Amino acid sequence: MQEKVGAVLVIGGGVGGIRTAFDLAESGFKVYLTDRSPGIGGTLYQLETWFPDNQCELCKLLPVFNRDECSQFCLRRDLSHPNIELIPNSSVTKLTGEPGNFKATLNIKSRWVIEEKCTACGLCAGVCPVEVDDEFNRGLQKRKAIYVRNPQSVPNVYSIDHENCTKCGKCVTICPTKAIALNMPDTKRELAVGAVIVSSGSNEFDVSRIGQYGYGRYANVLTNIQLERLLANTGPTGGELLRPSDKKAPNKIAILQCVGSRDTERNYCSEVCCMYALKESIMLKKQYPDTEVTIFYMDIRAFGKDYYRYHLRAQDSGVKFARCRVSRIRENPKSKNLFLLARAEDGKSISSEYDMVVLSAAQCPSPHLSELGKILNIHTNQWGFVETPEFYPTRTSHNGIFVSGSASGPSDICETVLKSSAAACEAATVISSARHQSETKTSEHEHKAEQDEEAKIAIFVCHCGEEIGAVVDFEKTLASTKKLLNVVTVEDVGFLCQKETLEKIKRSVTKTGANRVIMAACAPYHYYRLFNDTLNEVGIDASMWQLVNFREELAWVHKDKRDLATAKAQNLLAMAVDRLRTQETLTAQVMAVTPKCLIVGGGISGLTSALFLAEQGFEVDIVERTGELGGHSRQIYFDSPQSFVKGIIEKVNNNLKIKINLNSEVIGISGNAGNYKARIKSTDGKIAETNHGAIIIATGAKDYQPTEYLYGKDKRVITQHELQKRLAEWKLDKASTVVMIQCVGSRNNAHPYCNRVCCSEAIANAIKIKEKSPDTQVFILNRDIMTYGFKEQNYTKAREAGVLFQRYEAGKEPEVNTSNRTLTVAVNDPGLPGKLEIETDLLVLSTGYVAEDNQTLAKMLSLELTADGFFKEVDTKFRPVDTIIDGIFITGLANAPRNLGEKIIEAQAAAQRTANLLSRDKIKSGRVISEVDAHRCSCCGICVEVCPFEARYLDEDNKVAVVKEILCQGCGICATACPNGAAKLRSLKDKQVFSMIDAAF
Amino acid sequence: MTKSVTLSVKDGKIREAVNSFLKELFNKKTIDAMLVPLAHPAGTNVVQALVTKAVFVDKADVFAPVMPVNSARLIQSITRLTTVDRKTAVVLRPCEMRALIELAKLKQVQLDKLVLIGIDCPGAYAVNNYPKFAAEKKSDDFVKAGFQWAEDTMLRTGCQICEYPYPLTADITIGMLGLDPSKQILIQANSAQGEEILSKAGMSLEIDSDLAQKRQTAITKFAGEIKERRKEFFEKTKREIGGIEKLSKVFAQCIKCQNCRQACPVCYCRECFFISPTFELDADRYLRQAEKKGALRMPSDTLLFHLTRMNHMGNSCVGCGACEEACPNDIPLLKIFQLAGSEVQELFSYVPGRSLEESLPATAFKEKEFEQIGEK
Amino acid sequence: MAETKEQFEPKIIGFLCNWCTGAASDLAGTTRAQYPPNVHPIRVMCSGTVDPVYMIKALLSGADSVMMGGCHPGDCHYVSGNYKARRRVAMLKQIFKSLGLDDNRVWARWISASEGPEFAKFMNQITEETRKQGPSSMANDWAI
Repeated sequence: MQEKVGAVLVIGGGVGGIRTAFDLAESGFKVYLTDRSPGIGGTLYQLETWFPDNQCELCKLLPVFNRDECSQFCLRRDLSHPNIELIPNSSVTKLTGEPGNFKATLNIKSRWVIEEKCTACGLCAGVCPVEVDDEFNRGLQKRKAIYVRNPQSVPNVYSIDHENCTKCGKCVTICPTKAIALNMPDTKRELAVGAVIVSSGSNEFDVSRIGQYGYGRYANVLTNIQLERLLANTGPTGGELLRPSDKKAPNKIAILQCVGSRDTERNYCSEVCCMYALKESIMLKKQYPDTEVTIFYMDIRAFGKDYYRYHLRAQDSGVKFARCRVSRIRENPKSKNLFLLARAEDGKSISSEYDMVVLSAAQCPSPHLSELGKILNIHTNQWGFVETPEFYPTRTSHNGIFVSGSASGPSDICETVLKSSAAACEAATVISSARHQSETKTSEHEHKAEQDEEAKIAIFVCHCGEEIGAVVDFEKTLASTKKLLNVVTVEDVGFLCQKETLEKIKRSVTKTGANRVIMAACAPYHYYRLFNDTLNEVGIDASMWQLVNFREELAWVHKDKRDLATAKAQNLLAMAVDRLRTQETLTAQVMAVTPKCLIVGGGISGLTSALFLAEQGFEVDIVERTGELGGHSRQIYFDSPQSFVKGIIEKVNNNLKIKINLNSEVIGISGNAGNYKARIKSTDGKIAETNHGAIIIATGAKDYQPTEYLYGKDKRVITQHELQKRLAEWKLDKASTVVMIQCVGSRNNAHPYCNRVCCSEAIANAIKIKEKSPDTQVFILNRDIMTYGFKEQNYTKAREAGVLFQRYEAGKEPEVNTSNRTLTVAVNDPGLPGKLEIETDLLVLSTGYVAEDNQTLAKMLSLELTADGFFKEVDTKFRPVDTIIDGIFITGLANAPRNLGEKIIEAQAAAQRTANLLSRDKIKSGRVISEVDAHRCSCCGICVEVCPFEARYLDEDNKVAVVKEILCQGCGICATACPNGAAKLRSLKDKQVFSMIDAAF
Repeated sequence: MTKSVTLSVKDGKIREAVNSFLKELFNKKTIDAMLVPLAHPAGTNVVQALVTKAVFVDKADVFAPVMPVNSARLIQSITRLTTVDRKTAVVLRPCEMRALIELAKLKQVQLDKLVLIGIDCPGAYAVNNYPKFAAEKKSDDFVKAGFQWAEDTMLRTGCQICEYPYPLTADITIGMLGLDPSKQILIQANSAQGEEILSKAGMSLEIDSDLAQKRQTAITKFAGEIKERRKEFFEKTKREIGGIEKLSKVFAQCIKCQNCRQACPVCYCRECFFISPTFELDADRYLRQAEKKGALRMPSDTLLFHLTRMNHMGNSCVGCGACEEACPNDIPLLKIFQLAGSEVQELFSYVPGRSLEESLPATAFKEKEFEQIGEK
Repeated sequence: MAETKEQFEPKIIGFLCNWCTGAASDLAGTTRAQYPPNVHPIRVMCSGTVDPVYMIKALLSGADSVMMGGCHPGDCHYVSGNYKARRRVAMLKQIFKSLGLDDNRVWARWISASEGPEFAKFMNQITEETRKQGPSSMANDWAI
């Protein structure tokens, strides 16, 4: 067999692709992150906010360790990591080879713009005569034939759309850097990769296909992405909600769910739309409290962690909910208002008028996926999504090719992120032997500025053609700047970003002996890395140069104010000079890592994480409280999952890298990311001390023990688990009626969360009963049926098999009585007067999970718990298995309820996040971190209390606060809290800020 | 529920009664040491002393109207590095006690093995006014004259507007509010440790005694009155010092000696921000600063110093007035700092020194607060 | 000073966080939103890095207003920096109010990375309102 290649091809640069790319890059693999479009970001960049805070927080995707390798900016502006190569405008045309050693051929569509030369000044678009619909804004506005995907595209380079370009040449003439080449051919590129990850995302269902909704004909019928764009600050209306027909604010808005999904053609649930609709309606209500918002739905599928609370929040904010499917929409041709016709639950028809209708369009596979599937030789399912096995939902039919995000089925951001880390984990497992082989080596240069050497500052000012030059008076600016203390040269250099200029700068730095540099140019997102690499070559370290933004923050925004803008330019340079004068060379702290993981909990989640870590080459210690591995999964009685679980346990048992400690508990943890010390106590009283680089908490959850509905008092009342056990052995002969009640012990005041798995479990059990005994009547009393994604098929199958679904409302729970030995369930039918009474032989309660008593462990690890007692993740969307304590991860039921397949994904994700940390011998702190002036420190502990990352502690013996450099994220909150400046943020010390203020005017 | 014993005062000799109680604590070996104000042999001051021999307690004069320093600072000196190794009682005025609690939150004192004895405080005169008082009167006379914070204009400003002249946290309170101290004094235990010590000293504790209730009623009445008085006082202060012109005038006499922060019990920094490298400037910087306004007052950053200090300690200001006492130029610092201090404390519903459990506003936040800040 | 109110160009210092408001300021540029050049930005990592002392210093050293820009509450790259910053600004404003100083010269605004237009709008607002308030006496008193 050939040697494996430590590089991975990621197809699709949406949130999933980005997560995968970071995970692989961080753990020592080279990543080619490709996308068909000219910029990365996918659907995600079209949205600005999301659950749970209706904020962005995208930046939380950035690496925590070795973070200086990566750009430290908003990801909507920049993504750069030495191990990640962005290849936009590209598509895979051929793949050969075998797992570990593929050859992929890419076709890279020419931008007709030379990337290195384009400064994104936008003059070209200004003169371009061709206007076409802007797909980023879903046709709500126009763009030119030469364009950027969105105002701050990553990469921020213009592209020409070949189909619409008339080749008039106006852009070529106006481009100040001669960056446009209209005949530049497409290129082919061959990549050697060890694995491939398909992360091509999904497309919205073409809602115009549902003729009765009138999309495309009626101006005020929009899709949910269009609504997102209307609400977006970067959207066509600047975030103001104006309906297309008359640009007026709508007063009544209807949001229609399941458009194009949960129907005969696409019998799956699109999974994300309920949360979309909830978010949009909460935002609408916040921004326009008087606007009426109604969601027309079948079930509100808010099944994820804390999603139900969000559902309640929407209710509280005044959003109306109508449980019915709209049959058609008619437009009033005059007012352009819309009439919805629907049939309510009680059978009555409804007709009401709305100003605007939003269609929650189904997620469909990307149209290119079928072709891609053929090229990659992977199977797709009946709807065209990539087919995956039940328990390894990121694997495809082709070894070495994995899938993440919505390419394999509808997924929201959280699921996508989990799947993406899981896919990264699978890929890394295939090529773990080639880890660090294909990494981009970052060269280390000698840095010349010594701590006590006098500052010599060189300043280079960019004209950016006329972009800056037209607004700032250069002569004046240069003259005043030259007079500043410690400035050795101020040079006006034309285009700072061009190769020739950078050579010139290098020569000038060498000649003048400058040890600090200021680049006055454009926003740091464009050329930070280029400038940094260039300056590094002449001994200027990242901490010793600074960028001053003369373009986006000055010239472009103060066009007609030459005098004031010039004064501001002078001041900004003076401020930068004064900051740099006292700047010290910063070096990162380096810490050795123990490449071993501690996993607390030997359930399926912990075992899966252990297995994948071991297969990636890391040692693992599992600590299990009981005498047996498998946890909750042992309660699974059906064959296929049971044998799967057995398989995992066997593999774990046979893996030499995994050490299993049964009947043991962790009683103490000290240390931090990279180096933890754990004390493990076994029931025989022995205490062992072990070292680990990371910890995964997989301690599971408890089954809810129902007190409702005569459970424990009447033998005929059982839980779904108990039913499953009986079904596996088929002990149900006598039951002619079975009633199941959903949401027992969940979605109530005591447990305000959805348990996610119970609906599918109930339906699976109901189908089993119907298969064995078709005459048994099965009722499922439910509030919303949570058969998200492809589970919807089972819901249909159950209904077809004759399972009767009866809804009940919160507050009107079913009543259960025994009299004369009969067990009766009475339930209010929301649609009908009176009650439905069912005599039943068996009453099955769908109970979920409640959190374990996690307090002790949480306290030991300084972790936070959610209101429901589960472990709290850093960020629901972007860091779903990370905890606030770096190097400690959570997975499985300890985090939130999940089904088996989802647990595998999450466990793989946790394994991958762990591998990111363990894969290097040493981890580096950031350069910009906080520090303590020990002599001044009063050891008051305020800094320790305010640090969000537990990156400080008090050394009580020496009476001084100490920074754990590796954990410090460099936010500087400690420095602000410290009254006397003993806590300092490197690069932005009080002294520096003060001198900047002094220099400001 | 209160637990207390009544200390009868023989022949109106309050000081003697209190001292014999304190001495009893020594004699019964409930404590091993005591920080307590002793009359200085010179007769011109009463100073805190760390006493290890019971006989020195005879010199104690805890109600003498003088408070040369805020003793929280002294306890900081004693316990910052290590805890005391034996039971040490500290006899403190309420403002000292509150400062002590603040310092404990800031980890500047270690309360282990300390027994906090608080007194109902009749107030204090400026140190340099005390000799005049001492020449004519005794502390017993002062106490017998009644608690006249509002009337006795010779009292330190802080005492005149003191919001809490009674201890908020103490193991043992020596109570006199609402009572006739020439006859009876209330010794109240407020904690398990307090109870233990009093029992060990052979005193049997009475539950909710009449005396205790009487004192409580007086406190409640006082709390209502003082709110009004303080309000008036702050309004007047605002008229006197409000606005940059008046504030500038008030601080015209500041020489930036930093005595105020040196004396302040809650200004705990080992070295002030204002003597940090941030303020070590090149000549060039001074000149450029001067250029901005045409002239630069030297020493520079006077108002910056006071505003910054307020920002740092405002939440913990206990209103003891040590700053004002320390000012060589009689700048009315207490007024200014209590005004801003009490208003920021109100903002965070924070009472400095009320409870160890209450976190410092600088270390906490709520998701739902100040929601108008930062919004359009 | 001879400046009349019409000609008065306020001097403002703005502390912008790296993740949101700073990115918004860049976006304002990309979209060519126009605003007056009176605000001099200082980039900080987080609004939580903005020490109230910086704001006081700015106001006493010549700034007619000072502002802090951060991510919206609930969205902080450093989890809770902006909540802490909000508290500090509340406290500083209260101290100013108590002392009869102009707390309207202390500004905070949450502006997310995509709110470029909002950033420009705010720059206009703070400049115009400061202009209306006139030169700050704190900024111009040499004797404080």
